[in-house]
Amino acid sequence: MNKTALDLQQRVLALIARGVTQSSSHDEFNELAQAIFAFQYERCAPYRAYCDRLRLTPQMVEHWEQIPAVPTSAFKDFALTCFPVDEAVAEFHTSGTTREKSGKHFFHTLELYNAAIKPNFAAHLLPDQARLRMLILTPSPQEAPHSSLSHMMGVVTKEFGTTDSNFFVKGGTLCLEPLVKTLRETEKARQPVFLLGTAFASVHLFDHLAQQNLRFNLTDGSRVMETGGFKGRSREVSKKELYQMFDTFLGIPPMRVANEYGMTELSTQFYDQTLLAGVQTDRKVAPPWSRVLIIDPNTGKEAKEGERGLIRIYDLANLWSAMCIQTEDLGVAISNGFEVLGRAAGAEVRGCSLNAEELRM
Amino acid sequence: MNTSVELVEEAAKRTLKASDRIQHRGTDAIIRALAQTARDWLKPDSVWRKRASKEAPAVTGFSKEMVYEAVDLTFGAITEESLRELLEGLRKEVAEPRLTAHFLAGNVPPPGIASICVGLLLKSANLVKLSSRDPVFPTLFVESLRQVDPELAGCIAVFDWRREEIALTQAALAEADAVVAYGDDDTIESLRRMCQPKAHFLGYGHKLSFAMVAREALTKTNLPQLVEAAAFDASVYDQQGCLSPHAFYVEESGEVSPREFAAALAKAMAAYQARVPRGRLTVEEAAQIAKLRGAYEFRSATDTNVLIWASSVGLCACENDGAGETAQAGTPMLPTNWLVVFEEDPMFTASCLNRVIFVKPIRQLESVLQLMQRFASNLSTVGVAPMNEHTTAFAKELAKVGVNRVCPLGQMQRPPLSWQLDR
Repeated sequence: MNKTALDLQQRVLALIARGVTQSSSHDEFNELAQAIFAFQYERCAPYRAYCDRLRLTPQMVEHWEQIPAVPTSAFKDFALTCFPVDEAVAEFHTSGTTREKSGKHFFHTLELYNAAIKPNFAAHLLPDQARLRMLILTPSPQEAPHSSLSHMMGVVTKEFGTTDSNFFVKGGTLCLEPLVKTLRETEKARQPVFLLGTAFASVHLFDHLAQQNLRFNLTDGSRVMETGGFKGRSREVSKKELYQMFDTFLGIPPMRVANEYGMTELSTQFYDQTLLAGVQTDRKVAPPWSRVLIIDPNTGKEAKEGERGLIRIYDLANLWSAMCIQTEDLGVAISNGFEVLGRAAGAEVRGCSLNAEELRM
Repeated sequence: MNTSVELVEEAAKRTLKASDRIQHRGTDAIIRALAQTARDWLKPDSVWRKRASKEAPAVTGFSKEMVYEAVDLTFGAITEESLRELLEGLRKEVAEPRLTAHFLAGNVPPPGIASICVGLLLKSANLVKLSSRDPVFPTLFVESLRQVDPELAGCIAVFDWRREEIALTQAALAEADAVVAYGDDDTIESLRRMCQPKAHFLGYGHKLSFAMVAREALTKTNLPQLVEAAAFDASVYDQQGCLSPHAFYVEESGEVSPREFAAALAKAMAAYQARVPRGRLTVEEAAQIAKLRGAYEFRSATDTNVLIWASSVGLCACENDGAGETAQAGTPMLPTNWLVVFEEDPMFTASCLNRVIFVKPIRQLESVLQLMQRFASNLSTVGVAPMNEHTTAFAKELAKVGVNRVCPLGQMQRPPLSWQLDR
């Protein structure tokens, strides 16, 4: 690794090591972001070509908000790396549809990724510093080596979970019997549990419990991290409905359920402030090594607080790929934080033309 | 408008009485009244045009210039001759309904107006449920008709209610022996199910259109009017109508290449925008465009198989916007009023609409058949340049793939009134 890369990596790691309680100053973030921009412009050819096309090069950019954002779709078309792709130690894939290519995020090192996971996760989900038995409704990282979510679950289980933590998706299926057995055990033993997984898997569990007429009342201290939404699935459940189900079926109230917003294209995750605040909230706060802007697609500028726009993320931990990512998700800024509203899909046609959504492309 | 079941029932009775009173009339009189009304709209200083320009933009989202254009297109199609032609077609097909219920949808005016004309030519009573996206045109149309022929206008009652108010829909359907429904497949299906069993039901769902350019049309001398026609078809109604093309398939080996065609089309889109601006977009619509644009802009920086043109200016980070502050640096999120995307891959890609148009090269016109095969049940219109012996013969092949209408490029948005029956 050359001197610049090493230096940048150390600086990002140092910032992450300071934790999430104190925000980074404007100048500190700006300087580091611009240094990383220069690094990525130099090392990543498709990104450089794009910046040249926009005439937004490191010489021209004065403020981190001007750094060109890479659309998430670009991960499908290009290997966005600042290192030779064959030196990648890991690659995570987006869950593309059978028709579409999947996006690929290549890693030169997982050091930054793993560092970024821990303090953020701990601060938001374990503010009481509890060490809990984790019941994970995703495949293990061994079974799904290209899933960033599974990788993350592997990291947090090891770092924060008890030794009897477990993964409950095997061979692509949710293992309902063992899961129910574990819920029964832990309920009886008054052992608090930490349920983590996709919203979709949770609903699958609840459908099963409903069918079997089972309900649990898990001990205080039990909590949930849910993620993923329902992109493209046939059954959609609102966040409110979903959280009601955690309460009904597991006895875990909404104030102990937090949403995680993450994606294959990023190294950093974003959490509801719920467990910190002690009350259910959809507000998320970006950790100090990141920034989130809500962009009004009608003006191209930052949206006013409370107004919807597209979420743009600046993630310094994405040093070796693309720091600035333009997502396809709608969000809204709320007092120093933001709320994720969902995918900006399905614009209703005002006329009588078929659009892409209706054609199910 | 606060509607109740009683009001709908009363309107049914009222319009039935009114249509009884015109049964003795010759259709010529009806044709004359409708044609006169259309002429009244088309006058440059017409009060109807003024009112539409004032009232329609807010609900339809169109600019007032586009509303003006919509007046020309809608009422330009309604003449003595076109009405006579429509009537000819009607006589062959439809038994005369006593009462017709029209359920309008979308913000594109011509289908709703044409539908009402059909109802009047058949001397039917008409209950019209307005589209939430355009309650203006049909309402003003009836008002304008009332000035010319109050007795005829009395055969129409216009209402506004939300889809969820099922009792009102049922009240309208209770008396209807003919139902005309516009909208998406789900809407049409649910209306079909609610009809009287003996009612004659016509459903017009969402459709897909595209255009083709044969190499004979791709000459340097022809290029300016070719792309002007293309830009018109792609931009009218902000591309939201079922007749609006999503893509242009352009034959290779002409004097002008498909890439050159795309570049010229971009200029023509800009020219049209300057004359008739695109309307306001919702956050979702703008987000769709930003998403599509971001993907193609990024690709085109590296991939020579992709070219993209947009209307936004000021990509230079150092531009001063005149307000004293440096303009927001250029990113693909800077809004654009239109997009032209050239892509070598001929596979059909649906546009997100609002003046986002694809240009794809093909070896020969016939390739289109295979490319569009899978959309057979969804196709409407194909615009063609030029219309000659070869392309006209090809039109028959297109019909086999489900295409409903083939017309010259530039005419896609000007179907004859009689097409109302063939769509």
